[in-house]
Amino acid sequence: MSSSTSTSKPKTEGKAPSKSEEKQEARPHLGVLEEDDEFEEFPAADWDDSQTDMGALVGGSQAPGAAKSGADKLWEDNWDDDDIEEDFSVQLRQELAKTGKGSDAMES
Amino acid sequence: MPMNFVTYLTQLNDALAAENGQNIAYLLRPTSPHSKDLLKEYKLNPTREKLSYYKLTIQEPWDEIAIQYVLTCSHVARRRSIDAFKEHTQLVSHFYNFFGQNSGWTLPVLFSILRDLRDLAFDADFHARFNGLKSDSMEESARTITKAFTLCLQDRTSPPDQSRKWGVYYVVGLVLKCYFRVRRISLSKNVLRALEANRDIPDLSYYPKSHQVTFRYYLGMLRFLNEEYEMAEEELTHAFYQCHVEAQANQERILTYLLPLRLLKGYLPSDLLLKRFPHVRELFSPFVAAIRAGDIAAYDRALDTREKKLLELNLWLTLEKGREICLRGLFRKVWIACEKETRIPISKFHASLRICGIEVDSEEVECLVANQIYKGFIRGYISHEKQMMVLANTNAFPKPVDRPAALNFL
Repeated sequence: MSSSTSTSKPKTEGKAPSKSEEKQEARPHLGVLEEDDEFEEFPAADWDDSQTDMGALVGGSQAPGAAKSGADKLWEDNWDDDDIEEDFSVQLRQELAKTGKGSDAMES
Repeated sequence: MPMNFVTYLTQLNDALAAENGQNIAYLLRPTSPHSKDLLKEYKLNPTREKLSYYKLTIQEPWDEIAIQYVLTCSHVARRRSIDAFKEHTQLVSHFYNFFGQNSGWTLPVLFSILRDLRDLAFDADFHARFNGLKSDSMEESARTITKAFTLCLQDRTSPPDQSRKWGVYYVVGLVLKCYFRVRRISLSKNVLRALEANRDIPDLSYYPKSHQVTFRYYLGMLRFLNEEYEMAEEELTHAFYQCHVEAQANQERILTYLLPLRLLKGYLPSDLLLKRFPHVRELFSPFVAAIRAGDIAAYDRALDTREKKLLELNLWLTLEKGREICLRGLFRKVWIACEKETRIPISKFHASLRICGIEVDSEEVECLVANQIYKGFIRGYISHEKQMMVLANTNAFPKPVDRPAALNFL
């Protein structure tokens, strides 16, 4: 891993909303994600688990984000399929057939 | 009826006697309606001299705090941001004298005035920059807020449920927010070190969720920027799952960094998740689709078209590493096309890359395959002389998530 990526972000001040704008922005988030977006103050100090995504965990006992065999509806850990009929796989098979058999196939 | 300063002092005094933190917080907020009344009373020009008449009319240091409040409001009203910040800093400093001697009922006041301090610092810096002046109000506010952190930690007398220690994580969250804003992230380390050294505080899980989520978000971001991905993923996962679902912007912010980290680990976001966060979907869905399809060309296109945005968000490197997961998908397709043979010539992997429009020489292909083995994406070995990939009989392509310590192994 390169150490060239420093921990401090490059200084770019794109937009700088005034205090009042910043506060009004609380709910409807307009525009795309911006580097300068801030984590907002929460309107309430505390809330119940039922108001969080903990509810997405089936059974509720798994660690958050565990995703094992569909326990967490938000993530998937298995997307492999063995479908050989989709376009790319067909193309791939044709091409591989051309590379022939044996260990040193035709290297152009 | 408009409020005059005498009434204001009386209300402040009553709230103090009742130990009503929320009420005091309201009275000290520059945006509260009574601020305008007070300014009118002084014909919009209150001075320290005029106000000092009221010194000692209520208990110290609240007389000074009330005076600072009016001065701050007057600067705010006249958009003198830098002066407003200075006067409010004084207010905070007077408050600290009281705070250090009292229990946790004062925390709502502390949180409120520190929030205002940070907002005023933001305005002061903005105003200064706009006028071509140098200003480091935000850094100064971080230092001022750090003092509150110490005062919270040092409470050794209040009963546990009334301890100032219940303010620790909120305050640290604010300090981190300040340093992130001015991109002096390394300065966060001092306060975090102090927090680690002091374990004589309740476990984070006992704090209000808003404190937990904000703290974990910033800690996770810090870990992420230090490339400590495993810890970053853990903090951000907690932050995401504890966040209020209606705090859409915050959840989206967390997910922007959590999603790439989870992707590296071998988790893809479900459609259900992406549907809820359109901006996240817009940025990442091409990567997710490419991984699902093993379509390395599409992955590279996504890297290319989103390069600027990803660099801005410090995410380019992370997504670039994610290419390996996509490559695994492509190589797995080769394996499927070869009817899951355990011996596959390297040339076949080469051919698959060529179809995708990726021109590399055969040494490089061998290197790419070797890397996949090394990183645990493929189980097997390479016979270099025979230019052959020899795959394990069972589970040749384990689920990416099954790799041990996936994030420490990039």
